[in-house]
Amino acid sequence: MTSAIEVRDLGKQFGSVRAVDELSFEVAEGRVTGFLGPNGSGKTTTLRMLLGLVSISAGAATFGGKRYGDLDHPIRHVGAALEATSFHPSRRAEDHLKTVALASGIPYSRVGETLELVGLADVARRRVGKFSLGMRQRLQLATALLGEPEILILDEPANGLDPQGIQWLRTFIRHQASLGHSVLVSSHLLSEMEETVDDVVIISQGRLVLQSTLADMAAQAGTGTGMRIRSPEINRLAEALNAVPVGWRQTAPDTLVIDGATPEWFGPFAAQHQIVLYELVNERGSLEDVFLRLTHGFDAANPMGPSSGQSAPFQQPPTQQSGGPS
Amino acid sequence: MIAGVRSEFLKIRTTAVPWVLAGVAVVLEGLVILGTFLGNRTSGGGYAVPSSTQELRNLLGAGFRGQGYLFALLLGALVITTEFRHKTVTTSFLVTPRRWAFVMAKLVTSALLGAVLALLLLVEALVGGGITLSARGGSFSGLVHQIPAVVPGMLLVFALFAVLGVGIGSILTNQVAAIVTCLGWFIIGEAILVNLVHSAYRWTPTGAGDAASNLTRGDRGGGTFAIFNWWQGTLLMLAYGLGFALIGSYILRRRDIT
Repeated sequence: MTSAIEVRDLGKQFGSVRAVDELSFEVAEGRVTGFLGPNGSGKTTTLRMLLGLVSISAGAATFGGKRYGDLDHPIRHVGAALEATSFHPSRRAEDHLKTVALASGIPYSRVGETLELVGLADVARRRVGKFSLGMRQRLQLATALLGEPEILILDEPANGLDPQGIQWLRTFIRHQASLGHSVLVSSHLLSEMEETVDDVVIISQGRLVLQSTLADMAAQAGTGTGMRIRSPEINRLAEALNAVPVGWRQTAPDTLVIDGATPEWFGPFAAQHQIVLYELVNERGSLEDVFLRLTHGFDAANPMGPSSGQSAPFQQPPTQQSGGPS
Repeated sequence: MIAGVRSEFLKIRTTAVPWVLAGVAVVLEGLVILGTFLGNRTSGGGYAVPSSTQELRNLLGAGFRGQGYLFALLLGALVITTEFRHKTVTTSFLVTPRRWAFVMAKLVTSALLGAVLALLLLVEALVGGGITLSARGGSFSGLVHQIPAVVPGMLLVFALFAVLGVGIGSILTNQVAAIVTCLGWFIIGEAILVNLVHSAYRWTPTGAGDAASNLTRGDRGGGTFAIFNWWQGTLLMLAYGLGFALIGSYILRRRDIT
């Protein structure tokens, strides 16, 4: 698979702070890659280095082997939506797009098209200062799409969007991928992106924690799924469970979690042992657990960096990273 | 480059500040015109019709002599600093990653805008002056004859000051800092310097601009100071404007846009 974006041993030093450290990853062509990490983990800095806005202290960040600044009319190849504040408040939405189009030799017809695409056609003549945060996000997307780029870079595009907006954004991103475009989209919430991305790149404190397909990550996370049971007869339940080959752990005085269990199995099981149940919950979404585990206790639990045990099963051979002070 | 300049023009056209600035310049020019005519009382109490070459020249050049060039300077400074104030520079650098090209487009655009502003003020001086002159029995043709002598110099000077504004703004990207520096220097700093060292006048931007404008008088604060000839003044102004822009581009090239 060819890469749309390549990041190699990227580093950024702000004074004494190492914001990004030996970060390497690739964004595969025609796929949606989620760029995930907690706030302050270096996502925005990395994206801005990719786009030539922030100078690179070490390593390289390229699009098909070329730096952003070396692309001819870059916004026709790489569309970026970075932050919702960078508009002149007294300029009209339409005029904002026209200034961008004019500078890059993009026909004005694209202005109307993109405004239509992001649902801002009705407010094209309105001044951006009167826009809500969500509308600004959409205008950012319109700016990114103006040059019909084959690569899209979106920095926290879900910020400021209402639930309908987020749903719309997901559809929009999937649609871009269906056109064969490559998308790198950052977020501090995996749950926001879970239904949208094909691959994940997770960073923490400026370092790569994991690069994997979402499917691989889900498979790994799947081992942690199961059922959460609350019962006044927790001890009897534990005894019963010990008699069968399942893993379980107690999470509260009256609650335990059974690994890999399904309601179809557990319902009859509980009935058979005549155990009273207060609550029976199918545990899901533990992708988020994996994400949190990877990004939080990173330094403490995994001092050897991403090449050590915890994340090793996720490594994809072609993108073997070199992050971490190993 | 042409695309970049056209985009810059659209940027400027679609925001309010340049229009407000031009509006203020036009109003002030109107006051200068009125002052030139109404304030020109003879000893007998009547009004003298300005007729000498110098008076007419001063009238046409009122935008300059009334320090209208300061508006060109501010225009240049605003055109670049507004990008940083509203963070539109992020988009601008995404569109034009070569930062010197961004500064270059600003320089060219501002120079042209400066000339347009000069033209606007000249037309106002001609129309306003013509009406006032005719109303008081003066000769309009005398005014018209001054146009070739005054207009090119004035367009040049306004353009040069706009370039200087961009140069200053490319270094002081903070809008308030840039404006305070511009006004501080041209209203206070220069006056103090020239009062202390008369011969420094020809080296100041105002002195150089004065020379470039081909206006023969170099008076400031009552005294008359020596100035360079017009092409020396032009080169000096360009050296200031482009020199600052070069320094600004160098700083910008290394600057992180976060």
